[in-house]
Formats: sequence, structure tokens, C-alpha cells
Amino acid sequence: MKRRTLVKAAGLAAAAPVVATKAFAQNATEKVRKINLYTWPQAALPQAYQASQLIAQQWRQLGLDVDVKPLQRQAQTQTIWYSRDKWDATMWRMVGRPERSDPDEFLYSLFHSSSVEKGYDFVGYVNPEYDKLAEQQRTILDREKRRAVVFKMQEIIDRDQPYAFLVHPKYPLAFSKSVFKESTVVNQSGIGIRNIWTFVNIEPLGAQKDLIINSSESLNACNPLYIGGAVDSWITDLIWDRLMRIGPDGVPQPWAAESVTQVDDTTVEVKLRAGMSWHDGKPVTVDDVIFSFSAPAGDKAPMYKPFVADIASMEKTGDMTLRFKLKQVNAIFFTASLSKINLIPKHIWEPVLKDLEGKPENAEQLKEVNRIGSGPFKMVRWKPSEEVVLDRFGDHFKAPKIDRWIMRIVPNAEATLGMLKRGELNFLGFFGGDPEVLVKFAKENPEIVLVSEVDVGFEFVAFNNRRAPFNDPAFRRALSMTIDRRLMVSAAWQDFAVPANSHVSPVLSYWHDPAVDTMKTGLAEGKKILQQGGYRVIGGKLYYPAGQQEKLTTE
Amino acid sequence: MKLVLERFAHNALALLAVTTILFFMFRLMPGTPLAAYISENLNADQQQQILEQFGLDKPMWRQYLIYLGNLAHGELGLSFFQRRPVLAILLEVLPNSLILTLTSLTIAYIFGVLAGAWLAWRRGSWVEGVAIPVVLATRAAPEFWIGMVLLAILSFKFGWFPSGGASSPGMVYAGEWQRMFSLDYLHHLALPVFTLALYLQGLPLLLMRSNMLEVMHEEFVTMARMKGLSEWRIVIRHAARNAMLPVVTAFALGIGLSMGGNVVIETVFSWPGIGRLLVQAVANLDYPLAQGAFLMIAAVLAVMNFVADLLYMTLDPRVTHGRRG
Repeated sequence: MKRRTLVKAAGLAAAAPVVATKAFAQNATEKVRKINLYTWPQAALPQAYQASQLIAQQWRQLGLDVDVKPLQRQAQTQTIWYSRDKWDATMWRMVGRPERSDPDEFLYSLFHSSSVEKGYDFVGYVNPEYDKLAEQQRTILDREKRRAVVFKMQEIIDRDQPYAFLVHPKYPLAFSKSVFKESTVVNQSGIGIRNIWTFVNIEPLGAQKDLIINSSESLNACNPLYIGGAVDSWITDLIWDRLMRIGPDGVPQPWAAESVTQVDDTTVEVKLRAGMSWHDGKPVTVDDVIFSFSAPAGDKAPMYKPFVADIASMEKTGDMTLRFKLKQVNAIFFTASLSKINLIPKHIWEPVLKDLEGKPENAEQLKEVNRIGSGPFKMVRWKPSEEVVLDRFGDHFKAPKIDRWIMRIVPNAEATLGMLKRGELNFLGFFGGDPEVLVKFAKENPEIVLVSEVDVGFEFVAFNNRRAPFNDPAFRRALSMTIDRRLMVSAAWQDFAVPANSHVSPVLSYWHDPAVDTMKTGLAEGKKILQQGGYRVIGGKLYYPAGQQEKLTTE
Repeated sequence: MKLVLERFAHNALALLAVTTILFFMFRLMPGTPLAAYISENLNADQQQQILEQFGLDKPMWRQYLIYLGNLAHGELGLSFFQRRPVLAILLEVLPNSLILTLTSLTIAYIFGVLAGAWLAWRRGSWVEGVAIPVVLATRAAPEFWIGMVLLAILSFKFGWFPSGGASSPGMVYAGEWQRMFSLDYLHHLALPVFTLALYLQGLPLLLMRSNMLEVMHEEFVTMARMKGLSEWRIVIRHAARNAMLPVVTAFALGIGLSMGGNVVIETVFSWPGIGRLLVQAVANLDYPLAQGAFLMIAAVLAVMNFVADLLYMTLDPRVTHGRRG
């Protein structure tokens, strides 16, 4: 009873600024209004579109009126992300990135109440208990203890179902084993074979010493202080080093650092690898490292600023050593700071940033960015609609075995397969077409090795937790349980996915709580929950529990 | 001269109208460029700062005046996404588009004119019975379909041509000219040109044929026959010259039209031209770049329209005579 009163209050509060329509609020028992389920256009994301159709069918069997409305990406961002109180439910996705191999980014940003207004918690989930745990897990250095908290958080989300998680997709990627030694390709957990470990390790077998990879998108910006798209991060990753890198196992490991030591709760000591140099030949020094971590602290690199926010001070303790003093205990410092901040040469960037002082522009808007890094590859050519060519940097401590890394821009998915067959490409870094076509292609061309990896990211239906009936956890749970995940996986994703019920992917096996994988699904389960919550079906239509009203309109 | 100026003014005015429509069209489209441009990592102040930086906080009429002012100086602005001058981005891909368009059009028109003339000459024969439906079919078939079929057969299956791009991966040339005249570039150009030419040849062929059929009944043709000239000589030297006038106009306009219409060919063959740039810019709501690309296509179209006017005046004295009278 207490819950219902709360729901009612919340419903009315949310409805206050909205004009009531006559059709509603007539009876004490009120019909649940029509729900718009927003989705992507079929051409843009066929799997998500197909899934939304299946979901709508299943929800209709509960007695709900559901309209599926595809929106272009821009319009969707506008309708959902920037107008947070207007929509009811939408298909959405979170993509995997190496730094998301630590569950913190999803655990914290997605459901912490601080990001309700403008940040990642666009569904408006607010739970003080969850907030507390989200903050707490950041400060526990003991992995076992932190894991217990992470499990608890997943259980809360399983209970409250702010989203209906659908699947963790598997992205199929491929390479030619007639060009490269198969055993030298590295699969990174939750990311797949397109990663820096592959690119520094992969060994050519014959005369072809160039790795030629495709992308459907161009490179937007090549700037160590700004990422403007997925491809930007593939490339900055290779040109600029970081003190640590997320390893193939998903755990950060020293990279440009020879060692990283946690001296005490808030002190980290880093020893820089000896003999490193920038692409212009100058040595990489501790001063460069300190500069790289102080550069984003001002207002000139807003995208990277959050990753240095916890650093209280840095101190050079020797020719090759420095100490980070943190403002508070930070369990994700290795992942979210040391593995994230690009090392940039002080002799180049100091004057650039000085020049920006007092101007409205920041380093993200720089037109001509100097592309000197210290990474395993150096930029030699960038023709925006055609290709990006990187040369190996022979002086690097992990000097690549390939001569060049060439990314070709290929907007035509079918043509990528033709190119792979003809050798115009030898590494499939992205495939926008039907995965089954790719599987068939790999079967017909035995020199092509197909590798698919479960993603750290996931696809889901976002419920607007601010609006009735989605402000009722029982309602959300019922809708989520009605969705048949196995059907999603096979019918919409053609088995290139695994069912999901957590924001921590099963691929992060240490952090994923297996207890949440047991959610029962099916129409009967959904109906049962609704009935228990007081919802009724009259004449085939779903009605709110007696006495509950809402005055929202479908938008 | 007066007529020339009049035509020039006419085209310039049309271009200004296009400019204005473009400016407002993009701003009236659903969604804001900010949704795409501004990262969720930025706070409200930073978002505002970016708005101001691009002048998007000003009222629309002021934005329009600034836009026109800049345009007068040849300044097309800065791309939201690439953060480089729009003009530089456009000039980078313009040569690729021009080469693709001009080569295909030239081939299509030479073939179309000759084949059209020949088909008119062979009117009523079995050749006409076969050729006309074939030509109509190539004209009706979607470009992407022709492109995909040619790719699947000539590239994927037989491996005669590359599957996309303008040059082989990682090829280095001393300059753009060296690149464009290299065998590698021409090898990459062949398939897209063939596809586009196949698609484009229908218009000049059918136009030429129907004009020829008219001209063939004119008295000067009968006169030529009476003089005992060979049939082919009559067709090429006498009839075709007169029938070509509308085809010349169609050619000039065709350059402008297919510049913008190459989107499909460029996507199928991953050709780095202005069409693909345009699609990308529109999808990203990159106003300055999309406007710039549209404007460049409109400018080429206007210039070609003007050229067609001039050609007409020179080739067909009736145009100017009528006015003088």
C-alpha cells in the first residue's frame, strides 16, 4: 500500500506540468495510456529495430497499446537525451571500450543520481542505497571486498529493472591467415581482436607487411586531448602511449611505466620505462609525464579533465620516477586515469596550451594538431575520405612487426568482403552487414579467420523511470520479464549475442554476478507480476491498480 | 552582350536563392547540430561556450548575414566535425568528383551520340528492336544495383578491378597530378566510370535518336541524298550536326546534375568524392560542410547552366536573332 501511495505521488508530481487529456483520468480505474517505444531506423541498426518489434508484440499481449517509432540518431538524441521527461521507453545501447573493462564506468555513471540531470542516468533512476554503494566501490582497494559491493549493486539493478537489458552483442571481426600468423592475433576480453595488443604483436608471414583494416567512418580528429568518434580512439591509441594499458585480460598493466606501485591508499609511485623517445627523437621524461597529467586539469581539455580530477599533486622523485598524491582513495585510478591519459610531449604542447590561455577555444578545437607521440605507430598520412596511414615506430619498446597500419574508409559493407578476398584489406575491423553473410563468407574462404567476442557493452530498452507507469518498479519488472531474451538473441541478433540482465558484462567474469542471470522470463511471469501489483486487464486492455491516476500524454 | 549579362544575372540570382534556402533548410531540420557535436562529457557552460564559438547563440537573421558576408569573401566556415576550413575539405575531394563525372559523361555522350545517330539511321531494323529496350533498361536500373552487379562479377569474381577506393592502400605519389595520371588511379577509376557511363548514356542516346529522326526528314538531308553522298556521311556530317544541339545542352547540365548525383556511385565504390562527403555532413548535421558541399554543387550547376546558355547562343543563331528582332 505504501508503495502505491508513493507511486501515485510521484506520478502526480511528474504530471504537474503536463496538460491533461480528457480521455484519461475519468475513472477511478484508469487504462494505462499508449506507450511509444522509440527505436532506430531499420537501415541504421537492423538488430535493434527487429528487437523493438518483437518486444512490442510481447508487451501488447499484456494488454498494453504500444507504438514502435523509429527515429534517426540525431532526432533520437534530441528527443531522449536532451528532453528527459517527455518519452516513455526507447531502445538504447552502451558500447564497449577498453577502459570499460573495469565495471566502474557503467556502475557509477549509468545509475548514480548525480548524472540524472545531464549525465548518463538519462532514465532518471534514483536510489540512495545504490548511490552509496556506487561511491563506496570506488574507494575499496581490496578486490574481493569491492567485488562484493559490485555484486550487491547488480542485484539492486536486477530487482529494480531501470532498464530491460536485452543482450551483450558479439561483434564478428576477421583477418587473413594467409597474410598474418594466426597465433599472433590477440583477442582482448570484451573488445575483440581489433586492439593495440594485436597491432603490436601481429606477424606478417610473407611479403605483405602492411596491415590493411577497414572502417565505415572517417577519422574525425587526431588529437591526444579529444576523441570525436570511435575511429578517433582506435588511432590515438596507437600514436600516443599511456602509463598503463588495459591488458588482453581486461586488467590494467604497466605500459610506458616500468612499474606502478600503490604506496598507500592515496599514493601511487610510477617508474617510467627507460629509453623511450618521442617520434621527433627527443627523450620522454618524467617532466613530460607530469605535464601530460596536468594539461587536462585546466579548462583546455574538458573531455579528459574528469580523469585527472582526483590527483591532488604530482612530485618528481627521481630521474625516472614520480609520485601521484590522490585527493581520496580511488580504486579505479589505474583504469580511469593511468590507462586513459595520453602522454604528450611538453616541448610541443606547452607553448600550444599557453597560446590558448585567455581565448574561448580549447585544445579540442585546434585546427592543426601536432601528431608527435611516443606510441608504437606514427602518423604519416591522413586523407579524410580515403585512408589513414601509420608507420611503425622502430624505436618503441614494443615495436610492431608490421611496416604500416593502413585504415581504408569503405562505406559499402559488401565491398569490404570483396576487398578481404582480393587482399585489398587483410583485417576486418568493422562489419556493418548481416553477420550471417560474414559467417558464410568465412566458410567459403578458408584463409579468412572469423573471431567474435562478447562485448562489454549491451543493448537495452530504457524505461523513463520519471514517468508513470514506469516509475513503478513492479511494472518495469513485469515488462522486462515479458521479453523473451532467447528469442531476441536468435531472431534479432542471429545468435551473435548473449542474453543480458546486468550492466556488468559476463565477459568481465570476475565482476559479473551470476546470480542475476537466472531471471525467469515469459508472458506468464510478466502477467503474474502485474496482477500482484494490482494491475488489471479489462476487455483485453491493461488498467492501473484501483485508485491510481496519471495525467501524462504519450509523446 | 546584354543577353549574356542577363543570363549571368539570372544564374547568379538563382545561386543566391539556393544559398538562402540551404541556410534556412538546415536550421529548420529536426534536431540540433549540438546533439551530435557536443559530447555528454561537457557541462552546460562548456556547451554554451561552443555555441558561442560557432555563433549559434545569435538570432537566425544575424547568422544569415554573417554567413553571406563570409561567403562574399570566399569563406565557407569551419566544419563542426573535422574542425578544418570547409573550402579546404571540399577542394580535397573535388578533383576526384570532377574526374569521375567528366570521364563518365564524356564516354556516355560520345557513345550516346554515335549510337543514337546510328540507331536513327537503322530505324525499323531488328537492331533497334533489341537496342532500345536495353538502353531503357540501363536507364531504369538503379545505379547501386548496376554497381553492385559489376563489382560482384568484375571485381569479386574475376578480380579484374579493385573493389573500391581511388588508389591502392598506402600508395604514395609526388603530387595529385602524378596520382591522377597513374595507372593505379585509372585502374580504380575504371569500374565507377563504367557504371556511371552505363547509367548516363541513355539520355544522350535517346535524345540524339529522336532529334535525328526529325532531322532526317528535313529538306537538306534529301538534298544531300540527291547529291549522292554516302549514307554515313549524310548521317554524321549533315544530320548529326544539326541534331546535336539539345545534346550539348544536356551535357553541360549533366555535369552539374551528376556532380551531386554521384552519391550512390561514390558509396558503392568507396570513391572519395563530394557526394559521400555531402551524405556524411548531412547525417552529422555538420551545417557548414553540408552547406558548402551543396553550394559547390549548385555553383557548378549554375556555371554549367550559363555555359549551356552561351553555347546555345553560339550554336543556334535563332536564340539571339529572335531577341534582336
